[in-house]
Amino acid sequence: MKAKITDLKRFAVHDGPGIRTTVFFKGCPLKCIWCHNPEGISFEEQTAFFENKCIGCGACQSKDFHPRDCLGEARILYGKEMTVEELMPLLLEDRPFYENGGGVTLSGGECLSQAPFAAELLKRLKEEGIHTAVDTCGFVPRETLTKVLPYTDLFLYDLKAFDEKVHIRCTGQSNEQILENLLYLNSVGAKVEIRIPYVPGHNDDQMEKLAEFLRPLTCIEKVKVLPYHDLAGSKYKALGMENTLPRQIPTEEEINRVQSLFS
Amino acid sequence: MIHSSDRYFVERKYHDPEKEFNPFKRMAYHGIGYLEESGLDDEELLEGLKALPLDNLPHPVAKARAIEYLLQHQRIYLNEHDYFVGLYSLDRLAKCVTFSKWAEESLALRDPELVRLSEDVNACGAMMYWVDYDHVVPDWDSLMKLGFTGIIERARKYRKMHRTAGTLTEEADAFFEGIELQYTAILHLLDRMIALAEKQSFEKAKEITVCLEHLRHGPPTTFYEALQLIYLYFIISECIDRYQVRSLGNGLDGTLYPFYKTDLESGRYTEEELGHFLSYFLMQWSAIGNYWGQPFYLGGTNSDGSSKYNALSHLILEVYDGLEIYNPKIQLKINENTPESILRKAFDMVRRKNASLVFCCEPGMIKAVMGYGATYEEALNFDIRGCYETGVRGNEACSTSGYINAAKAVEYVFSNGFDTALNKQIGVQTGELESLVTFEDFYFAFLKQWENLVEIGIRITNDAEKYLAFVNPSTMYSATVESALKKGKDGYGGGVKFCNNGMLNCSFASAVDSILAVKEFVYDQKELTLTELAQVLKNNWEGSELLRAKIKKSPHKYGNGDPLADTYAAAMADFFAQKVNNVPNEKGGVYKAILHSARGFIRHGALTGALPDGRKSGEELSKNASPVAGMDKQGVTALISSALKLCPSNYHESFCLDIMLHPSTLSGEEGFAVWNNLLTTYLKGGGQSIQFNVFRSETLRDAQEHPEKYRNLQVRVCGWNTLWNNMSKAEQDAYILRAENIAR
Repeated sequence: MKAKITDLKRFAVHDGPGIRTTVFFKGCPLKCIWCHNPEGISFEEQTAFFENKCIGCGACQSKDFHPRDCLGEARILYGKEMTVEELMPLLLEDRPFYENGGGVTLSGGECLSQAPFAAELLKRLKEEGIHTAVDTCGFVPRETLTKVLPYTDLFLYDLKAFDEKVHIRCTGQSNEQILENLLYLNSVGAKVEIRIPYVPGHNDDQMEKLAEFLRPLTCIEKVKVLPYHDLAGSKYKALGMENTLPRQIPTEEEINRVQSLFS
Repeated sequence: MIHSSDRYFVERKYHDPEKEFNPFKRMAYHGIGYLEESGLDDEELLEGLKALPLDNLPHPVAKARAIEYLLQHQRIYLNEHDYFVGLYSLDRLAKCVTFSKWAEESLALRDPELVRLSEDVNACGAMMYWVDYDHVVPDWDSLMKLGFTGIIERARKYRKMHRTAGTLTEEADAFFEGIELQYTAILHLLDRMIALAEKQSFEKAKEITVCLEHLRHGPPTTFYEALQLIYLYFIISECIDRYQVRSLGNGLDGTLYPFYKTDLESGRYTEEELGHFLSYFLMQWSAIGNYWGQPFYLGGTNSDGSSKYNALSHLILEVYDGLEIYNPKIQLKINENTPESILRKAFDMVRRKNASLVFCCEPGMIKAVMGYGATYEEALNFDIRGCYETGVRGNEACSTSGYINAAKAVEYVFSNGFDTALNKQIGVQTGELESLVTFEDFYFAFLKQWENLVEIGIRITNDAEKYLAFVNPSTMYSATVESALKKGKDGYGGGVKFCNNGMLNCSFASAVDSILAVKEFVYDQKELTLTELAQVLKNNWEGSELLRAKIKKSPHKYGNGDPLADTYAAAMADFFAQKVNNVPNEKGGVYKAILHSARGFIRHGALTGALPDGRKSGEELSKNASPVAGMDKQGVTALISSALKLCPSNYHESFCLDIMLHPSTLSGEEGFAVWNNLLTTYLKGGGQSIQFNVFRSETLRDAQEHPEKYRNLQVRVCGWNTLWNNMSKAEQDAYILRAENIAR
C-alpha cells in the first residue's frame, strides 16, 4: 500500500500539541479559495518550478531529468509515493522530542482521502506509543472516521463556514457532511481541536454562527482561529495554478476579537 | 531599581559611552566621577612603578610590591551616584615592571623552536595560541567566610605551619610573602577609601563607610557588603593583578543567599532594597562593556538531589531583566529538578529580547567533570568558568592551550602539509594527492594532520606553561584556595588540585562537511579527481559554480540527522577528544577537550582557503558544535539529534550548541512547551551547554539597513551577547543566512 505524500515536516509546532512531525498527504476534496497548501489540492503528482531559485544548472534539459537533480532546488516534486514502511523510520526520528505531548500529525491535502493508508499508518504509530493527530476538513464518509478513530488521539477539525451557501462558495462543496461528522465525533467521545481560518470578506460573517453551533459540543478541547495570510502566492505561480488568494489580511485585533467568541 | 540619574553616572564610570570605544581594549579607558585629589594619574603611576626597587625580589613579592604601590596611589571613585567604589587606572599598569618584563624573559628561557612554531601557527591560522593567564574562579566561599583579613590570617597560619614543619622553602616563603603584601595592600586601600568616605556628605556615604569598615576588619556581614567584596575582588584581580575573574560567586545566588536571608529575617533590608543594591552591582559590568562579557551562573543541584535555585535566583533574574542589559551574562544550570518558574522566566527573557542567557545542562557537565578525575561531589558542585567551561569549584585553574583549526588540517592534506602562506612545512607529509588512492587514505591523512596540530598545541603549551607562575604569580587567587596554602605553592604552579589545560576543537563542522564532500564527489561518484579538486579550491571555486551547488545540495552535512554525516562527525569528535583528554600537562594536571570556538570561527576563517564543502576562502567557519551556517536544513530537532551523537560529555571542558528559532515557533503558552521540550531532550540526551537566538531573517535584514532603529537588538555570539550594530557586515550576513533556514 502506498500513499502520495507532498512533504514531511519535522519540528512542526502549529499542528497539534508539542513538537511534532507532520505528514502532508496529496489531494483534497475541497478547493478553498484561500488554500495555503495548493500543492496538496490535486491528487496527481506535480512538479513546481520556483523561477527565482533557478541557477541555470541545465539539469532539467536532460531527457531523464528528475526534480531531485535540480541544483538550485527550483523544481520540486510533490506527490512522491511512499509506503508505511518507508514513512515509519522518518516519523520516529524525532521520538525523543515527542515526550510531553508531542507526536505525529497527518495533514494535507486531506489525509483521510487516502483512508486505508492513513488508518494503517496511525495504527503503526499507536503501536509505537506515539501521540497521533489527524488534521481533517471533515469532508469524508463517516466510515472513514470510524476506521481511524481507534488510532487517533486528537482530531484537528477544520471548519470554514456554517451556512452551506457560504461553504460552497468558499470551498466548492457543501458542509452538511462536515458538520454531521463533527456531531458524530462528539457522540463517540473523540478529542477534537477546532480550527477556523478567518478570511475577511469571505467567511467573517460565519463566526458567531459557528460559535453557536460548537457551544453544546463536549468533544472540543480547544478552538483556534487561524489568521489568514497570503504568503502562498509563489506556490500557485510555481505550480502553474490560478492564484485565488484573497487580498485582505486580518489584523491582530480582529483575530483576538473573533477568538474571544469561542472562549 | 537603580535611579536613572545614577545609571547615567555608572554608565560613565569606566569610559565615556559617547566617545569611540574598542570593547577589546576596554581597560585602557578612564571614566568620570573620580576624586582627582585622591591619587595619581596613569603617567604618574607608571613613573612611580618604574622607580620601585623590584629587581632582586622573587616574583610574587615583586608583583605584590607593584600592586601595593598602585593600590596606594590609585585615584578613587566615590560619589553620590553609586554604592560601589572604583579605581581610576584599570589598564593593568603593573605589567610594565612585572608581567611584560618577565614574559619577555620567559621567551628567552623557552624552547626557541617552539616559540617560532607558536608564531607560525598563529600567523597561518592553523591555531590560535597565546599563554593564558586569564581564567580563574576564586574560592568565593573562603572570601565570604574569611573576608580580606581572614585570608591574611589563614595564610599566616599556613606559613607558620610550613616553617615549623621545615617545608617553608624559599619559593614557598615568597609565595606567602606575596599574599601578605598584596592583601595588606587591599586593607590599606580600604583605609584610604574609608577616610575619603567619612568626609563625604552625600546620602549614600554613611552606608558606604560602614560597608568598607566591615570589609576592612572582617568578613562581610550583609548582602550589600558581600556585593561590595565581590566587586572589589573582581576589579583588583582583573585590572590590577591581571587575572580575569571568570565567575562572580560560586553560583551568585548560592554565594549571596545566606546574606540575603539574614538581611530579610533581621529586617535590615527589604527585598526591594536588596534588589536596589543588585541593580547597581549588575550595572558595573554593563558599564565596563567588554566584548566577551562577564559571566556568573545560577542554580545547581544539592547532594540530596534538590535544586539550588532559591528566592534570590528569581530576584537576580528580575533585576537583570529590568535593567535591559546584556552584560554580565548569565549561565543557568539546568537539571530535571530546575523549578518551572525559573525556566519560564528564562524562556520569557530569551523569547522577548534574546537575553544573554546560556543553559548549562548538569547531567552532561557532571559526567564531563568526572571524566577528568573529579569525585562525584566535586563534579556535582562544578563551577562554570567563562563561557561554558567546567571547573572544580574553588580548586581548579585551567588555562586555554590552543584553538585548533580543523579546517586547516583539511587544507594541509591538499598541500602535503606545506603551508603556502608561510612558505613552510607546518603540517606533516601525508603524501602527494595521487597517492591517496582510496577515501580511507584521504581520511587518515586528514586525521594525521589534525593530530599533528593537536600535538603542536600541546608541545607549545607545555613549554610555555613552565613559566606561568614565573611570569604572572597568581598570588591573589591562590590565597583564596586552601589547597594552594597547604602545598605552599602558586595555584598556577601546581598549587590547586586541578591544574588543567583546555584545548579547543574549532571549525569542526566545516571539517566534517569537507571530508564528506571529498568522499561523495571524489571517491564515491568520481565527479573529479582529488588533484582536480585541489585546483578548484586553488581557484576559490571560480568557474566551478555548478559543482559547488551540487556539493552544497548534498544531504551529507553535519546537523541534519544524516546517518553518514553523523557517523563521521561522531568519529571525528571522538578522535579529537581522545587525543586531548587526560594527556598529562606540565603542571601535574591534564588536558581537557573543548567543542566551542570563541571567536576562532572568524579569525581562522579569514586565514583559511576554500574548502571542499563549498566554502570560499576567507569566509566564516562553523562555530561550536554547530553546523556550517545555512547547512542545517532539516530543522532544529535534527540538529539536536546530530549534536547529541557527538557524546557531548566527552568534551571535558565544554561543549556548546547554538540553536536559532523563529519567534512564531515560540509564541504563546505552547511556545514554552516547545522550547522546554527542546531543552529537556538535549539535557536527557547528555548535552552540555545550549544557547538560543530568536529572530526572523526579515528583522535582521531591516536591522542591517536601518541600524538606528535597532540600537538594542542583541544576538548571541559565542558564550556572550553583542549588539547587532557592533558586528561587521560579514558577521551580520552569516546570521541572516542562518535565520533564513529556520522553520516557522
